[in-house]
Amino acid sequence: MGDVKLEAITKRYDEVTAVDDMNLDIRDGEFVTFVGPSGCGKSTTMETIAGLTKPTEGKVIISGRDVTKLPPKDRGISMVFQNIALFPHMDVFDNISFGLRLRDYDAEEIQRRVDHAADVVQLEDMQDRMPEEMSGGQRQRVAIARAIVRNPDVFLMDEPLANLDAKLRVHMRTELQRLHKELDTTIIYVTHDQAEAMTMSDRICVINSGQLQQIDPPLVCYNEPANTFVAGFIGSPSMNFIEGEITNSGFKSEHFSVEFDPKALNVDLGRTVTLGVRPEDVYETTKTEFVDDRTDPISAKTDVLEPMGNEVFIYLLLSEDAEASMDAAKADDQLLMSTDPDSTLGEDEQIEVVLDRNKLHLFDGVSGEAITHGLAPSTADTPEAGTQAD
Amino acid sequence: MSTEYDEIQAVDDEPDIKRGKIEAWAASAIKNPDRTYRAMFYTATIFFLVTTLFPFYWLFMVALTEQRQLQNVGLVPSGFDPSLLAQGDLTMGTNPGVFIEVFTLIPFHRYMFNSFVIATVTTIVVLLVASLAGYVFGRLRFPFKGPLMLLVLVVSFFPPAAFFIPLNRLFNTNIDILRPVLADGSLYNTPYAMIIPFSAIFMPLAIFILTTFYSQIPDGLEDAARIEGTTRLGALFRVIVPLSAPGVATAGVLTFIAVYNEFFFSFLMTDGGADNWAPIVEGLLQYQGQYEVLFNVMAAASIVGVLPVAILVVVAQEKIVSGLTAGALKE
Repeated sequence: MGDVKLEAITKRYDEVTAVDDMNLDIRDGEFVTFVGPSGCGKSTTMETIAGLTKPTEGKVIISGRDVTKLPPKDRGISMVFQNIALFPHMDVFDNISFGLRLRDYDAEEIQRRVDHAADVVQLEDMQDRMPEEMSGGQRQRVAIARAIVRNPDVFLMDEPLANLDAKLRVHMRTELQRLHKELDTTIIYVTHDQAEAMTMSDRICVINSGQLQQIDPPLVCYNEPANTFVAGFIGSPSMNFIEGEITNSGFKSEHFSVEFDPKALNVDLGRTVTLGVRPEDVYETTKTEFVDDRTDPISAKTDVLEPMGNEVFIYLLLSEDAEASMDAAKADDQLLMSTDPDSTLGEDEQIEVVLDRNKLHLFDGVSGEAITHGLAPSTADTPEAGTQAD
Repeated sequence: MSTEYDEIQAVDDEPDIKRGKIEAWAASAIKNPDRTYRAMFYTATIFFLVTTLFPFYWLFMVALTEQRQLQNVGLVPSGFDPSLLAQGDLTMGTNPGVFIEVFTLIPFHRYMFNSFVIATVTTIVVLLVASLAGYVFGRLRFPFKGPLMLLVLVVSFFPPAAFFIPLNRLFNTNIDILRPVLADGSLYNTPYAMIIPFSAIFMPLAIFILTTFYSQIPDGLEDAARIEGTTRLGALFRVIVPLSAPGVATAGVLTFIAVYNEFFFSFLMTDGGADNWAPIVEGLLQYQGQYEVLFNVMAAASIVGVLPVAILVVVAQEKIVSGLTAGALKE
């Protein structure tokens, strides 16, 4: 019960392919999050599961039943919408009991179930309110109560928190996790907010341009991203990417190089690759006591500082003529570093930084597919490596 | 008008320039256009009200006038004399009994009933079918939607007379399969002969209104209803229609009034007999004999005939207003 399987789901609109050959296997009781940028097809995928959209090709299987041709009401699902979608002409009780009344439950059973659902979302005393008399958070709770009251096999949540203010969103996030623990029902959750995906899910399903990029537990997506898209999308601020190529001694870019044995990784010489490193894996040379295996120092100049309270983000320029670009993660001559908040660094200071070799990612320069996560310990100490270009 | 006169007085605070009255008024109107706009608003409103309500007033006066005094009805019924009240004549020389005569001379109530039934059934048919069409045009994407909608609207541009002759031939044909339902198998002299063409003629406007309203309902609400367990049709009638109450009321009222007042088809599709589903207007014509026309009874009957529509509009208007305020969709 409660497992969802997508088999080669494809959804094409006239010119656009919204979902491209999606295969998924979601286990019973799992909390899976679909995450991706706007328009990546995650909502369409969810609508296909819900039955609101018919796939062009492929099969949807819920609880072992092929439901591809069934209307939404017969799929054993319930859904919470981004725009909340409470029926404005009905009070809270009528909203929650809408599905039960359609299914001809007797009045007592309806009352009992509505009471229970309202209790779960802590709205016991508001059953006769109209939606317009409630706050955004309360409305969202009603929508959730409406979803749980029918005991569906699968919950679908389409950006349910997107319209709430930031504080309430964090609160509702916790509530949803508690709800999942309590109900132990499969939840499929759509969001474009990678932080939401990281914090709530058992597994994250990263989608881009209608294609499944990776489906793994949050930390696996974070530590071992399957490609540059996942690496750049998961984690905030984004991972640094530096273009370069494979030489005899390892990776070489315009401004620095990292040595390793290309043969050990089985990559061809001269192949263009992208080196990825997360901001927290860039260290000042003076603060490397926790880094077992570091690269050679890279000299850089600090540009802009962004103190966050618990950490500071520092934009580093790797060359004199580096132009601070809007997208520091993509620029080859910039690095974003995150360091502890009591750092004494100011703007425009020359410093030296090292990277944690264990946390380096290497991606194919063309396809973006991951080649390796973490480099083997360096063997030789070659003096000419690790210098800047100018 | 008094407001204009006030404005002429109000220019006194500009003593430097010597102006004529009209110049002064123009100057103040330029300085303070709000008063002019208000004056124009009242002028237009009063003009409109007088032209629409005065005929009713005059109709009422004609109705109250005795048959023999009809030739000179002014602002009050001829023979109206308040002094008669002192002599114990409560009617003051008028003839309120005419409102009973309306029903005793001919079965006018039957004509009203006919009109009412035809209008109600047509409205129901139109709202049902136009709801389905409005849902499709307003909420679904399909090829040739634009041209199809245009085609529907084009139907409403034809004068109804264009349809008359073919329809009249059709309805006068005896169709065998209808024999069990209708005595001679033809639709002539039955309500169907009016309900069918009226439904068709007034459908495009209703479709147009409902399409506009249904397309405004957020997709999320329909999706939510379908997830909760309705079919598309169920979502239409349980969620979309209730939320579009103002639109449905507007389309319904317009259709009802148009059919209730319809004359052309009604006159030609029946023989005028009350038992043959002839509508109100034919009833009115029954007061016109070969040698005399009972204008006062006609006037009284017209007023009686208008009352149901007037009541309907008042009631529906409240519904429309309440529908508008109860809305509050969040998208």
